[in-house]
Amino acid sequence: MTTATSRLTRVHAINWNRLEDDKDLEVWNRLTSNFWLPEKVPLSNDIPSWNTLSEPERRLTIRVFTGLTLLDTIQSSVGAPTLMPDAMTPHEEAVYANIAFMEAVHARSYSSIFSTLCTTREVDDAFRWSEENPALQTKAELILERYRADDPLMRKVASVFLESFLFYSGFYLPMYWSSHAKLTNTADLIRLIIRDEAVHGYYIGYKFQQALAEASPERREAVKAYAYDLLLALYDNEVAYTESLYDEVGLAEDVKAFLHYNANKALMNLGFEGLFPAELCDVDPTILAALSPGADENHDFFSGSGSSYVIGRTVATEDEDWAF
Amino acid sequence: MDTTILTPPPRQGEAARELDYHALNAMLNLYDADGRLQLGHDREAVRQYFLQHVNPNTMSFPSLEEKLDYLVAQEYYEPAVLAQYDAGFIKALFKQAYAWKFRFPSFLGAFKFITSYTLKTFDGRRYLERFEDRVCMVALTLARGDEALARSLVGEIIGGCFQPATPTFLNAGKRQRGELVSCFLLRLEDNMESIGRGINSALQLSKRGGGVALLLSNIREAGAPIKQIENQSSGVIPIMKLLEDAFSYANQLGARQGAGAVYLNAHHPDILRFLDTKRENADEKVRIKTLSLGVTIPDITFELARRNAPMHLFSPYDVERVYGVPFGDISVSEKYHEMVEDPRIRKTSIDARAFFQTLAEVQFESGYPYVMFEDNVNRANPIAGRVNMSNLCSEILQVNAPSEFDEDLSYRRLGEDISCNLGSLNIARVMDAGDLGASVAVAVRGLTAVAEMTEIAAVPSVANGNARARAIGLGQMNLHGFLAREHIHYGSEEALDFTSAYFAAVAYHAIAASNRLARERGEAFAGFATSAYASGTFFDKYTERDWHPRTERARALFERRGIVLPTREDWAALKAAVMAHGLYNRYLQAVPPTGSISYINHATSSIHPVASPIEIRKEGKLGRVYYPAPYLDDGNLAFYCDAYEIGPEAIIDTYAAASEHVDQGLSLTLFFPDTATTRDINRAQIYAWRKGIKTLYYVRLRQSALEGTEVEGCVSCTL
Repeated sequence: MTTATSRLTRVHAINWNRLEDDKDLEVWNRLTSNFWLPEKVPLSNDIPSWNTLSEPERRLTIRVFTGLTLLDTIQSSVGAPTLMPDAMTPHEEAVYANIAFMEAVHARSYSSIFSTLCTTREVDDAFRWSEENPALQTKAELILERYRADDPLMRKVASVFLESFLFYSGFYLPMYWSSHAKLTNTADLIRLIIRDEAVHGYYIGYKFQQALAEASPERREAVKAYAYDLLLALYDNEVAYTESLYDEVGLAEDVKAFLHYNANKALMNLGFEGLFPAELCDVDPTILAALSPGADENHDFFSGSGSSYVIGRTVATEDEDWAF
Repeated sequence: MDTTILTPPPRQGEAARELDYHALNAMLNLYDADGRLQLGHDREAVRQYFLQHVNPNTMSFPSLEEKLDYLVAQEYYEPAVLAQYDAGFIKALFKQAYAWKFRFPSFLGAFKFITSYTLKTFDGRRYLERFEDRVCMVALTLARGDEALARSLVGEIIGGCFQPATPTFLNAGKRQRGELVSCFLLRLEDNMESIGRGINSALQLSKRGGGVALLLSNIREAGAPIKQIENQSSGVIPIMKLLEDAFSYANQLGARQGAGAVYLNAHHPDILRFLDTKRENADEKVRIKTLSLGVTIPDITFELARRNAPMHLFSPYDVERVYGVPFGDISVSEKYHEMVEDPRIRKTSIDARAFFQTLAEVQFESGYPYVMFEDNVNRANPIAGRVNMSNLCSEILQVNAPSEFDEDLSYRRLGEDISCNLGSLNIARVMDAGDLGASVAVAVRGLTAVAEMTEIAAVPSVANGNARARAIGLGQMNLHGFLAREHIHYGSEEALDFTSAYFAAVAYHAIAASNRLARERGEAFAGFATSAYASGTFFDKYTERDWHPRTERARALFERRGIVLPTREDWAALKAAVMAHGLYNRYLQAVPPTGSISYINHATSSIHPVASPIEIRKEGKLGRVYYPAPYLDDGNLAFYCDAYEIGPEAIIDTYAAASEHVDQGLSLTLFFPDTATTRDINRAQIYAWRKGIKTLYYVRLRQSALEGTEVEGCVSCTL
């Protein structure tokens, strides 16, 4: 039923006190209180650690981040904006606007990492590599195709796969480094991104499930089959991408287990059952433990800024508070 | 960086994975199939860490003699330390240490010690010390030829009762090293000579391994006149930027990053700009990333907020001209109305409640600033003079005196700045050892040795302050671990009862030890004559009543271990001895937050509740490591309620019970869930101030994962 006709055709002034779906406000509040900018993380503390990485390790790291930059750019400039016309409520549209903006912040953060740690030549080489890497370009193309096609449900499917699945072949590496005491501030920044992407994937998946519930049984089956097809296409490509990156340092198999784990999570966000059996999802516990968004991490303030601080709710004190 | 070569080889296949010590440690954060904690995996992680990594990378020697000869010849150890003893004694001392059969109880403790403390070859490839060796070198250094003291120090340190702070434990006995002292506090006066000297001192002290706090309250505000020309000064922010860069430049041979804090009085006109430097959306030109901030708040600010009145901010430039002393040396509470009435002092006003709200907003976003309740501090300060700042961990609270400079930056008048060396007792171990007096006395001697051996020539005002004060900071840790092991809830009546009696007894023994030192050395600290110790008033509260436990539970904790608590009569005798012979140390106690050393010592941090029964610890050098609370098992989990659940009041009550008996301060962090509001933070601050708390350290927030986005089976998401 989510066709072009049900889209918001007129613009009404948005009233956050008349909610059609409470989830919109809950997610809006979470996203706004999670607002951050890369400048808050003292990335330069990672320079000594960066200098201990070998040449192939550095090259790998920069390439991984250029790959992530591309995905964030897609999501910011195409992905989230294409979801906006499909929004069922003005509040949902506002949430997508926030998502689009934060994805731009994410894309911007990788450049902060580059400018802090790397030389211009290294970065230019990596961007060239990303332009020429067939698997990365195919990945972008597979997603962009769905974004351009006129099927609102598939746009959401593609978006959830990007947010909850495709990012993680890249996220693996900073988590791996940080569990070995390297680039820990960079990992803090990536964890802030993961914190955001987890909410994005969850929310878009939730909106997808709502829309799907209203579709006809035939349409539901068709969308589901289509989603699995897309996942498998993306997965095959992701395996090739992973090997092109990680084979050199011998981590490809570990990353693949991580891909399975996240592919299942992405499917669950859509309300579908996982595809990969548990034994294929045996993720290295250091990576899994490192993923927890850092909310209860006890960091030492002298070497990092932590990822648990948020913009708080301001409430004025009352006379009773001052009754002494 | 020296950790590079020491990372494990890349893992291959399933078999290798099972043995990886990082993976074993990380399993602490995941439940097993039956939903139980996997504590055994952490112990296995320690074993594998030594088998796979530490032992193969440790240089071995046929005998102790050959080892020591090699380390001295290769300029790893300081020969002067060993030359104070005969070879037979040194051998016996190492034997004593090794006989203890020390093992690290947690992976984090072992990992932290090996990566950050133990002596390595200059190329960073091999380890040269075991834990026992480090303990012996620390003891030999601090005992300075006193064999009995060396033996006692080895016993206390290897037995886990006493743990010197990082700079001492890291550096003692090494030839290439930083200073043994951790902490410095410097005044800045309102002139370019002092500011320039301050930045230079920040560099010099960071290079030597210290954390440095600087007082900004005296600095004239933005827009104040320079040479009587209006609107010339740029205020405190540019000084903060200079300091931030200075600290990030200097580090202690790469071992520790330089760290700094700045303190500003709440009634300084730049106060809001100062707080805004930590805002999430602060402009890059004013954003402060790594410098820590502290605000000193007098009673009057609370009084004004109570009346919902405006609070006036006073120009330090004018105040100094009117009163002839720097703004930081004025009691704002006392002079507030006088300054409001005085037309010679420029002032602006802000809303007092809005000030507190802004404070809480910034704490929400960044954890900063620290807060020092200036009048609480000065009421409890036994030394004549004024305390106007604290340090990087907000536990050092001492009087200081300004320096004056000539044009060539030499001292016209040498003031007193503050240095303080710290070390902490492990409450559970000290209680179990059963001789509180002896443990405290050995610790006081160890800390005093550091003060006596330290002379920071690069910063004469610090050297002068140290020589005159010989201040030390004896701290405490593992309170929560001890209480939980004894099945007492943190913050309960019995817990507060125990805390009060324990700290009163520590105060007694620390004063007694310092008094014995004064008699042995034949001198007291400078300024003793005008202190509340000399007049005897300090002792009034101890001679008027006993500070013994009131509850049966708490009394039994001492009695069962044969620990006898000092009575009124004991205190009266001590009072007489102190009034007759003085104290050797101007300050004795300060309870630091104990990060690293509590992991090595296997303690819960300071006297805080645990942040989590399984703590996720992140540090620059370690990455993410998981730390099980001491004594934790599936049976006593209920007593490890974490700081976020326990809430601010129980923490404040605990600290209030301890503060009563601590001459300096205690680092007190407040913990809130992200559902808290600025009002909750303000209420906790008001409560703390009313309970006589002296300082508040960080505000920490915990954000729960949005439902539906948690990592499955992860301990930290559910515990």
